[in-house]
Order: sequence, then C-alpha cells, then structure tokens
Amino acid sequence: MAGMELLSDQGFRMDGRKPNELRRIRFKKGVFRQADGSAYLEQGNTKVLAAVYGPHEIRGSRGKALHDKLLINCQYSMATFSTQDRKRRPRGDRKAQEMTSHLKQTFDAVVLTELYPKVQLDIFVEVLQSDGGNYCASVNAATLALMDAGIPMKDYVIACSGSHMRDTPIVDMNHLEESSGGAEVIMAILPRCDQIVFLEMNSRLHEDHLSGVMDHVMVGCKDIFNILNQQVQDELCQKTELDKIVTTG
Amino acid sequence: MLTNKVFIKKTKMGGVMKIVREHYLRDDINCGSQACTHNCDSDGKEPLEEIPISDSKLVMKPHYLVPDTNVVLHQIDILEDPSIKNVIILQIVLDEIRHRSAPIYKRVKDILASSHKHFYTYCNEFNMHTYAERQPGESANDRNDRAIRKAVAWYADHLKDTEIEVVLITNDAGNRKQSVLDGLKAYTIHEYVRSLSNMSLIDRLANPLNQMNQDNNGKVLFAEHLGLAEIQKGIRAGRFLQGTLLISRENYLEAFVSVKDQEKMIFVQGLQNLNRAVNDDNVALEMLPDSEWSCPSSMVLAEDEGKDEEDEENRALNETVVDNKVPKELRQPTARIVGIIKRNWRQYCGILQPSIIKERTRHLFIPAEKRIPKIRIETRQAQTLASKRIIVAIDSWPRNSRYPLGHFVRCLGEIGDKDTENEVLLLEHDVPHQNFSEAVLSFLPKMPWTITEDDVKRRRDLRHLDICSVDPPGCTDIDDALHCRELDNGNYEVGVHIADVSHFIRPGNALDQEAANRGTTVYLTDKRIDMVPDLLSSNLCSLRSKVYRFAFSVLWEITPTADIVKTDFTKSIIDSKASLTYAEAQLKIDDPNAHDNLTKSLRGLNKLAKILKKKRLDNGALSLASTEVRFYVDSETNDPIDVKTKELMDTNSMVEEFMLLANISVAEKILYEFPDNALLRRHPAPPPSNFDPLIKAAQSKGFTIDVSSGKALADSLDQAVVPENPYFNTMLRIMTTRCMMQAVYFSSGMLQPQDYLHYGLATPIYTHFTSPIRRYSDIIAHRLLAVCIGADASYPELLDKSKIQSLCNNLNFRHKMAQYAGRASVNLHTHLFFKKRIQDEEGHVLFVRKNALQVLIPKYGLEGTVFLNDDGQKSSSIFVYDEENNTQTAGDVTIHVFDPLIVQLSIDRSNVQHMKLSLKLVKPMIPGFSVQSVREVQANATGSQSKTSTTDLPISGKPPQKKKKRTH
Amino acid sequence: MTDAELSEAEKTFILHSVQDNFREDGRGNEDFRHMEVETGLISNTNGSARVRLANTDVLVGVKVQLTAVDPEKPEVGRLDFFIDCSANATPAFEGRGGEDLGSEISAMLTRAYSCPSAVDFHSLCVLPGQQCWLLYVDVLLLECGGNLFDAVSIAVKAALFNLKIPNVTMTKDEGGVELDLSDDPFDFKRLNVAGAPVVVTVNKIGHKHVVDASEKEEECTLARIILGVTEKGTITSMRKEGSGSLDSDSISEMMESARKVGMELNKILLKALEEEEKQGAKTVGFLR
Repeated sequence: MAGMELLSDQGFRMDGRKPNELRRIRFKKGVFRQADGSAYLEQGNTKVLAAVYGPHEIRGSRGKALHDKLLINCQYSMATFSTQDRKRRPRGDRKAQEMTSHLKQTFDAVVLTELYPKVQLDIFVEVLQSDGGNYCASVNAATLALMDAGIPMKDYVIACSGSHMRDTPIVDMNHLEESSGGAEVIMAILPRCDQIVFLEMNSRLHEDHLSGVMDHVMVGCKDIFNILNQQVQDELCQKTELDKIVTTG
Repeated sequence: MLTNKVFIKKTKMGGVMKIVREHYLRDDINCGSQACTHNCDSDGKEPLEEIPISDSKLVMKPHYLVPDTNVVLHQIDILEDPSIKNVIILQIVLDEIRHRSAPIYKRVKDILASSHKHFYTYCNEFNMHTYAERQPGESANDRNDRAIRKAVAWYADHLKDTEIEVVLITNDAGNRKQSVLDGLKAYTIHEYVRSLSNMSLIDRLANPLNQMNQDNNGKVLFAEHLGLAEIQKGIRAGRFLQGTLLISRENYLEAFVSVKDQEKMIFVQGLQNLNRAVNDDNVALEMLPDSEWSCPSSMVLAEDEGKDEEDEENRALNETVVDNKVPKELRQPTARIVGIIKRNWRQYCGILQPSIIKERTRHLFIPAEKRIPKIRIETRQAQTLASKRIIVAIDSWPRNSRYPLGHFVRCLGEIGDKDTENEVLLLEHDVPHQNFSEAVLSFLPKMPWTITEDDVKRRRDLRHLDICSVDPPGCTDIDDALHCRELDNGNYEVGVHIADVSHFIRPGNALDQEAANRGTTVYLTDKRIDMVPDLLSSNLCSLRSKVYRFAFSVLWEITPTADIVKTDFTKSIIDSKASLTYAEAQLKIDDPNAHDNLTKSLRGLNKLAKILKKKRLDNGALSLASTEVRFYVDSETNDPIDVKTKELMDTNSMVEEFMLLANISVAEKILYEFPDNALLRRHPAPPPSNFDPLIKAAQSKGFTIDVSSGKALADSLDQAVVPENPYFNTMLRIMTTRCMMQAVYFSSGMLQPQDYLHYGLATPIYTHFTSPIRRYSDIIAHRLLAVCIGADASYPELLDKSKIQSLCNNLNFRHKMAQYAGRASVNLHTHLFFKKRIQDEEGHVLFVRKNALQVLIPKYGLEGTVFLNDDGQKSSSIFVYDEENNTQTAGDVTIHVFDPLIVQLSIDRSNVQHMKLSLKLVKPMIPGFSVQSVREVQANATGSQSKTSTTDLPISGKPPQKKKKRTH
Repeated sequence: MTDAELSEAEKTFILHSVQDNFREDGRGNEDFRHMEVETGLISNTNGSARVRLANTDVLVGVKVQLTAVDPEKPEVGRLDFFIDCSANATPAFEGRGGEDLGSEISAMLTRAYSCPSAVDFHSLCVLPGQQCWLLYVDVLLLECGGNLFDAVSIAVKAALFNLKIPNVTMTKDEGGVELDLSDDPFDFKRLNVAGAPVVVTVNKIGHKHVVDASEKEEECTLARIILGVTEKGTITSMRKEGSGSLDSDSISEMMESARKVGMELNKILLKALEEEEKQGAKTVGFLR
C-alpha cells in the first residue's frame, strides 16, 4: 500500500483530477507551411505534432497502389528526448511499428478513401513529449491535420483511454496511471455517429467492468470532440469573417 | 489552473530522470464545515460540527484543530481520545504519514471514518488557494510547513463570518513563530492538552525528545547513532551490516541480529554495544575485532523488578564491562550497533514498577515481554495504576537516559483478571482484536439482505441438491457443506460448497484491508477473535441450514473407486438441508433404518472418503492428527475432559478428505491459470538431521524409525507400538511433529515447482480454499479461482507475484502468532485452573535434557519441565546426565525417555507478570529431591483442609470455543 | 523541402539579384531572415529550444546523464549530438530516409563543438578521472526551409543556454565516491555558452556569396563553406561543400563574411535568450 494512491478517498487522482476529468487540451492547426496539413496538440504533458502530405502519386514502388482507393501511409515516431528515459531510436522499434499500424487502421476507417484511387496520403506523427495517452493524442492531432489538409472524412475521429480503479472508471490516463499495472482501454470513435473504429485493451479487466469503462471512455471522447470542434468552428467563423472583410474590401 | 511538479531522479545507470507531473489546482474543494457560509459543494460530507464546543482554557471560542505531521505521528494516542473532535487533517499531512508510518496511517484513517470524531480530510494540495509552490532555496520541509500555514490561513478567512477559530497545532517552534507573524493561532500539543479540562489526557502525551533530557544529569551514556546517509554508505562499502535485532529471552543484554541475506546470526552483547536498540528494530552493525568476540553467557539475566531506578542508573555502566575470558573456540562473530535504520516500536503491555516515593510522577514501566527494556513514563495516576496492567508506547531514547522514554496509553485492567490477561496475550502476540471500525463496517451489506434476480442469474442454482454441513457442536461460522449423489452412469457427483466470502469482501476496501491484516480468526480457549465482522462470519457467509446462501462450489464426478473423472468450479446458491455435528452425521450413517436422501448422500461421501484416505496414506501422507492434545474444560463441572474422548469419528475424516481434495483441485486450477501469482501452501520436507532425536528415542525402546521418505516414516510410526504404554506411540508422534518444518503460504512465482511440495499431505501442490470465513489465504484463493472461471474481476495486486508474496508473509506471521496466542491462552487457563490447587498427576518423560526433564501429562494434554537442579540455590544437581544413553541418574534411580512418573503440579507465583506452572517430582522417590505427594501431606495435616482441589475454579462456565482442527 | 525545380530564367534572376546585393526577398547578401527562438518548451528535458528560421523548424532537447569519463580525456565532460530528420519535414525522410542528412549535420556539430573553448567542458566533469556529465543533444528537424545547418546550430546553442544541470553532492568513503542528486528542483547549475559557436553557411552564387540562403538560392549554389564561428570571431570548424569549386581568394572573403555575420548572430542570440529568461514568460511553443 505504501506506494501511490491512484485514487484518493476524497475522490481525486494523483494529479488532482476527478475520475471523469480530462487533462487540459490545447491545439493549433496549420503549424507548418510545407506540409499539406499539420496540427500540434497537447493533452496535458503529452505533446504531439502531426503532418499530412498528399494525396500525391505513389512514392517508391508503384505496386503498392490500390486500384480502387487511396493508400494511407502512416509513420509514428517519438523524439528521442520525449520520454523520461532517453530513447535510442526515434522509430522502428516494435512499439512504434505497432502504433504505425494502429494509426493506419484507424484512418483507413474514417478517410473517404474511395475518392482517391491509385494515389497515396501520408500521415506522419511525431511525439515531442510523452506523458501517457500517446496513441490518443496522435489520433486527435492527425484528425486535425487531415482537416487542415482538407481531406474528406466521415467524421472526426477522436481517441481516449480509460481504466478502472477502486470500482470507479477513470478517463484520459497519464503516464503514472498507465504504468500502475491496471487495465487500460483505448478507444477511437466517430463521435457524431457513435461508431468505434479502434479498440484496444491491455492487462486484465473483468467483463462486467468493461462496458462501464467503455461508456466513460466514450463520454471522454465526446468531451474531447466538443473541445476540438468548438475551437475549429470558432476559427472557421473568424476566418470567414476575415474573408468577408477582404472580399468586400 | 495548472502547475507542474518537477522531480529529478537518478537511475542506477547514472541516468538522470527529470520527471514532470501535472498537478491540477481547483476551486471546488469543500471545506467540510457545517458552519460554512460559502457555497462549498459538499456532497453531503460535512463532518466538522457547526458549533464545536470548546473545552480549552486556551481557546475559549469554538474551534477546529489543524495538527501538523509530527503532531499526528507522535500524538496519535491523544487524537484517538473521544474528547478530541473537530480536527482537520490536511492532505499534505496525510500523505506524509502514509510514507512515514503505515500503522499510524491506518489509525488516522480509522479516526477519519468514525462519524462521532468529526475529523475531516482537506485536500489542500489540490486547492488553488492553498497550494504552495516550492520556492528557490526552500527545503521540502519548509515548503510543507508553509503549505500548512497557508491552509490554516485559508480556513481562518473562509470561516471568518462564523464564530469558529482555526488553530494550528505544531510543536515546531519555527513554524509557530511564523504562524504568529502571519496572524494565525498556533499552539503546541502540550499547551493545548494542558488547557483541557480532561486532565487524564496529559499522561498520554508523548515525550518530546528534548524535554526530559534537560532535567537529567546530562551524563551521556551512549554513543551517538549514525545518520541514515552514513549508514547506507557504510552498508554499501561493506563496513556495516543491516539486520533485525532479536534480544535474547534469557538475558536482556544479549542479542542476535539476523543479517539480511546471510544465514549466520551476529551476536551483540552489553548495553553499550546494543546502543539503545530495542527488540525488532532494524539496525546497522559494525563488526568488532576478533579479539573482542564473545558468546552468549549461560547466565539468566532479567532486569530486577525491585531495584530502585537511581541504583540501576549507577549500575548501567558497570554492566557493560564485558571481560573477554571467553575461550576462543566458543567465540562468535560479535558486533556493535552503530545506528538504527528503522524503529519497530509498538505499544507494550506491562505494569508499573512500584515506587517508594508515592507522589512522584516519573515512573518506570516493566513490559511483560522480557526482551523489551523498562520504559520511563510520567503519570499522575501511579496510585491507581499500581495494580493494573497498562499499555505504554516508547517515544524516544536519548543518549543520556538509561531507559527509553515513553507515555502512558491506556489501562487494561486488574492484574490477574481473566479479561485483562486475555487482552495482554492478544496484544503481546500482535493479534489485531479491536472492534471493527466504522470504516470497515460501512462495507458490510445492508440488512435485510436479499438475493436478487441478478444474483440468481450469475450463479448455478444448486438449491435442489441435498447438501448438508458437518461440523463440531456449537459451530456458528460454517465454511463448508457437502453433497453426494449417484449418477446414471454409476459414478458419483460430489460437491464441496464453500462460503462465498469473496462475494461480500471486495478487493481493496477497508473491510478487505482489515481482513488481510488480521489474516486469520484467532481461537482462544474462551474467546474467538473474528477475521471478518460477525454479520458475515456467523450469518451471511455461514452456510447454515434452511436458508439460501451463496457458495463457491467444487463439483467432481468420481468413480466408485474414487478416481476423479471431471472437476468443475462454479459460484452457486445452495440450500443446506441440515447442519449436523460429527456425531449426528455418524448416527445417520450407522442407522440401518435411515434411507432418506441426506443419509444416502452421507454414506456415499463416507465410502468415497475412506478410499481417498487410503490412497493418500499409501502415498506417504503423515497422520499426526492424533497428537493434537488440547486442554478442554467441561462447561458443567469445569473439569478437564479426558483426552481419549476426543477420539476422531469417521465423519471427521470424511469431511477432512473432501476438504483436502477441494484444496488440491483448486490449487491445480489456479496454478495452471496463474503460474506466477497463485497463492499456494507448502510444507517443506525436513532435513534428515531434524529426525535425530526421534530416531535416538525410538531406539532406546528398540524401534527403528525410517525417515528416508514420508511413506517410510508413516509406516514405521504405525509399527512402533508398545502395548503396556498406550502413550508411547502418541509421544513418538509428538516428537515427529517437533521435527517438522512449518507449513507456509507463498506466491508460486517466487519458487521452483519442485519446492511447492506439501510433505505432510504428500501432495505436490496444495492451497487453502475451504475456510474463507476464518482465513484470508482462502479469500485470495477464491478470488483467483473466480477469475479463472470468469466469475469475478481481477485487480492489479492480485496479479502481482511480489504483492502476493508480501501478503503471504503477513499471513504466515499472523498464523504463527495465532497459534502462539492459542497456546498462551491454554497456558493462561491452566494457570488459572491450578491457581488454588496442588495436584499429583501421572506423566511421561518426553525428553531428557542436561538439567531438566520434559514431561507430558496426558490428562491435561500439558507439557512441563521438571528442573533437576534447584534453580533457586544454584546448587549442583544430584543427577548425573548420560548424554550417550540420554538418561539422568540419581543414586540408584535412572530416568529414561518415555518413563512414567508422578509429578506434582502447582503455580509458581514469584513473578507477578509471569506465573509459571511448576512441576515437582513425586515418583520415583529420590531422597533430597522428590516432594511428598499431596495425599501424604493431607494425611499428615489431619483432615483440616482436605479436598481443596476440586471446587472454586476461576474458569468461567462458558464452553470452550470449538476450533475446527483441520490445519495442514 | 519543396521540390523547387527552378527554371533557367529564375536561376538567372536570383544570380543577378545576388550580384546587386538585393536578393529576391529583399535582403542584402549578409542579412539573415526573420527568426524565432524559444527555450524550455519540453519540460521533461533538462534543456530545450525551438528555432524557426523562415520555414525551417528545429526542436532541440538536451538530456543529461552521469557516465564514466573518457580515459583519454579524464577531466572533461562530453557532448553527444543526434539529429533526427522527421518525416514531418518531408516524406523523403520517412523510414531511414533522413539518416544521411542527420549524420552529416551531427558530424558538423561535433566538429564545431570540438574546440575546447566552445563550452566549459571542465565544468561538466563531476569527478576527475571517474565521473562526468554526458549531454545528449537531440535535434529534431521538423520542417526544412533552407539553411538547415545554421538553424540547427542556433537551436543547439539556445538549448544549451537553457540547460539546467542538477547539482551533485559527493560523499567520499573508502568504497569509492557516492554521487547524489539534489532533490531541490531549484538546485542546478547552468552551462556557460558564451564561447559556443554558431554555424554560418556561406553560399557562393555567381561571383558573390550570401548567408542564410533560401531554398531557391540553395538551388543556385554549386559550392558553399560551412563555418563554426564563436562570439569572439574564432572559427572552430570549416568545411567546403557542394559540387563546384572555389578559389582561395573567395574562400577568405567568404570566411570574413561568415566571421562578421557569426559574431553578430552570436551577440543577438545571447541577448535575445537573456531577454527571454528575464521576462520569464510562459512558453507558447507550437500554439502560437
């Protein structure tokens, strides 16, 4: 017991959040000029950059091209200084490869790929600082980058993690909570049509608790969606206002 | 609002980890006061009273107290007093306590959960108004003090529209000074307690380290303790060793230290070398040069009870002079203590040393545990406490004090009173026995408890089966029930149904933590200390008849030759048709006219059990159960019941067989599913040398004991029977028991599979599953099994092999202590029984020692020692010890092992705290040693006080607690 | 890196503009473009900085580690440079695509910092002959908009400026020396970076040369020299790059330019960093 109390008797987590509270989210779309779309996103101390290139011609061997739809190419890497212990390699390790394929799977499900046959879209994600929920932040940042690039999608795709502690579901785990040995449920959903496009669970969680945790993660995803959507729309409005001024002179 | 906490840590490889953690600050944290005039979002939690009544002359207005960390740590006895109410425990204080002392943390949590104490935890660290960011140049301690002041200031401001004042209680002078500068009220705990009308609290104040030193003569008696950093450095460099101090029971100035990762024990001798270390402390040692090595002296040295303290103080230095005339070959590695790594002080039972000056307030306290030094305390109630058993806690041990300083905690009652003595024995064996706290009770199911449809859906309904329980008479905590029915294919379906305790005790809550800490139910001769509250142990979990109960069932399909075809585990609902005693069950089986389903079920079970038992014994399982001789008192006559009447019936062994089978089946299942973290029980095979005394003793009667395997041992024990001495075989089995190792719980991931062996039961793997009401190990087994079959959720601690192992360590400790406490309870009752009588009894020599005979008295199941040299006069013995043949000879009488004797039993009450049963030899008659038999004495003193021995017994009329003896 | 394939006419235009000391974006030949520097934005590093020079975006994180000293140089600490070319910058860097460029830059940095006066290497030695600090300087290349080398070197210097090395307490006993880190987050020392070089790349275009070439200008360059220049004007490293050739006269001219620009650059950078430190403003990072 003398270790940590992940959820106190007073109902607070180690960092002062309540079980259903998210970390602070801040983001910016369009941080780079050269990429077709880009976004920077912070979820607490997890900081992620995403860049989108394309759709463009297939790079490398043409054999990879899909005759009826867009080829989505992802790369997940982590800056060598992003973790507590310095990483030796930014990518190519098994964890990064797994993340890469998870991202590809997630965005295959949401981008309207049939609109762009025989070409390729690149989604690159770079984790600058890692404090838990790397996949979630990557997905959320990449969604924003895709929007910035103007790639047609079914919906936002929003990811959030969750777990179960002292009979209470918690959402948006930080690194400390992730490494406590409990179960972790990670979900990516289409928030406006309540569809789950990605689901992963680590460690053991009893079946009875699963739906409770999933419900809370779902709510967490929607909270994130509201935060992102609000700012995206505000920016859009501001931009159209500006455009109006420009066009009307 | 957001801030980051930054830590820097160094890893082993020299890496520097800069750890950054987010820390969210909020403005929605409730103040917890009913008097609050703001809109605090309370969630209904407002434990602090609206108008707390002030009892203090210092703070006349109603007030709340805010103690700092050290006050809570050192003065927990004060805080626990019912008169101290309305206290705010800051989160920062609670966190620090958690890191510094687990037992005190638990006590604080208990107070916090208690509704009439009005204690409240305020999360000051998460409130944006009370969070204190560490400033450059500020130490962590200073920051914490500042945070506490900030919280107090916030409270004062928050409650400024009310009558209530907020008072900081701190013994840190700097902190108090700063508080006054900040315009806050701050007092020391001593100032505050002295201002209360309840004067008895003053005695319970812990002594601050410096206060008492000043009025001492200032003579430094001890070397300084090294600091922790220096100790760690020394340990790394190999200059110091680290270990746990074990003071000798015979001589309080000698001790051994069991050094970490080392088999050899290191010897420490003398007051100076012990350097204020107390038994059980974790200490740092420095080896002495070989020339100063010593060995335990054969002298028995107990602190004198009568001596006046000044006298002793003068003696203090003299005692330390150790002349090294110890012969080289006897010398043992000897060391001195240079520092204390962790104190392991607890509260101690004992009595006050009678003082010559009546009015004085400083007194010495003599602990019941001989290995603990006397403790100096201050009390104004010495008069009333003189004949009482009291509890005292140690606060400190300064360098210039011969004795540690402590404070009075509470009074247990009159010396010699049975309840008091029971309490002492529980405390001394560290058996948690307080009433369950409110926090614990809050996790009990709400009554009336009903079975819901959802429950039924999740469980297999076995209510139609003819299940019954078989237990000793008077048993209220029924763990297990059984059934057996014939299947169409000629096989049997046998079910063992165990109380589903884990359904009611959820992992991690206060109830679970309490049960895990208690580890086991403790059975004393006249009392049972439950592991779980009565509502569960005797009602909801207990598989009583004619009520629906939840069970965890093991179902087997067994062939008529008792081979298992199929094993199935399920959570179930059962309806026990009858709660039988062993005798009732036996009657049913034997009754030729009974043909009801229940009887058939019992007969089936009995038949299969016999086959199972035979298989097990053929496998080499040891049968040592018959050696369990216990002291029982008949409720009507208060006479001990003869041991022979405890003969086991078939039904005893019938139940036992199926419990063993269930335990083994469960062990296999959970190990298969959790190879790393299954909780199992092992009983290591004893090293062959352990059997030497047994072999030697049996040889003297012409028997050969083969110890090459369990099977061989069991067989040779069976053959060693002497018709004219019915106790011979029993005694051999008692000796065999002494050769055995302790059976222990362990986590499967910590050992190799070949070490899982249970020697006594001759099974490669074993666990405890069948008594979850009274053993925590079984609850863990239940949880693991429930996860295996998907009936319940796992949790991180359950899957962590090292956490399971540390749990096992506690359980092993608690079980050992429960056993000792049980034995001590028997001793206590023996003493009470013989308090007013002297009696002659038949006995048998169990062991022949150098200066004594170990004698077994079958009638009482007692074992005692007849000292051969009259220890009072230290005169040389008239006996000659023959080591070769293991005999003692005096004149023409030679005493061998197993010889029958007549001994006289009486109570030696020369020591108030430690009454001893004294045995004196009556027969054979040895002039100058043996005493006259009681009858002869009575015959001589013509008729005056005859027949003193059979009436006026101090033992209460309550029947003894029936303990289920199925411990393997 | 945009795939800027320039036409001959465009190239001629750029050539002429340089000739007239009035470059296509309006700068003179020895002018730098607008540049933003921010430090301390990656909180779990011991020092960090981001530099955005036009479209070139570089993020540097420094992590420190105690390590055994190099037996050949038992009294100094060490720097270790690693450059990761993120695919965010260009899809060409995906996978191992950026490794060649990365090692080229890291070799250049190593050389520039090999000068003993670059930083106080002695202050990085904790215990002579035994333990020293090893500084991992990890550079992440996020966008390439020309003049990479210079931007990287500026970011590295800024990150080293920002670096906070925890103080170490040493306790000696016969078993060796025990090193412990202070638990006080404010108990750290800074590295003096006054002598640290910045890299100035001088591109030969036609008969003239320019500093801080844009991507288009880089297209027109056949030869350039890359120099490490300290605040005092010391040249700590030099390398010629490119397929063209240079005569010795122009090299000395280019060196002079580089020295002049480099000294100024160092001065401005240090001033800006000190200014930022004084203001103690919250980091904005990529959110701006």
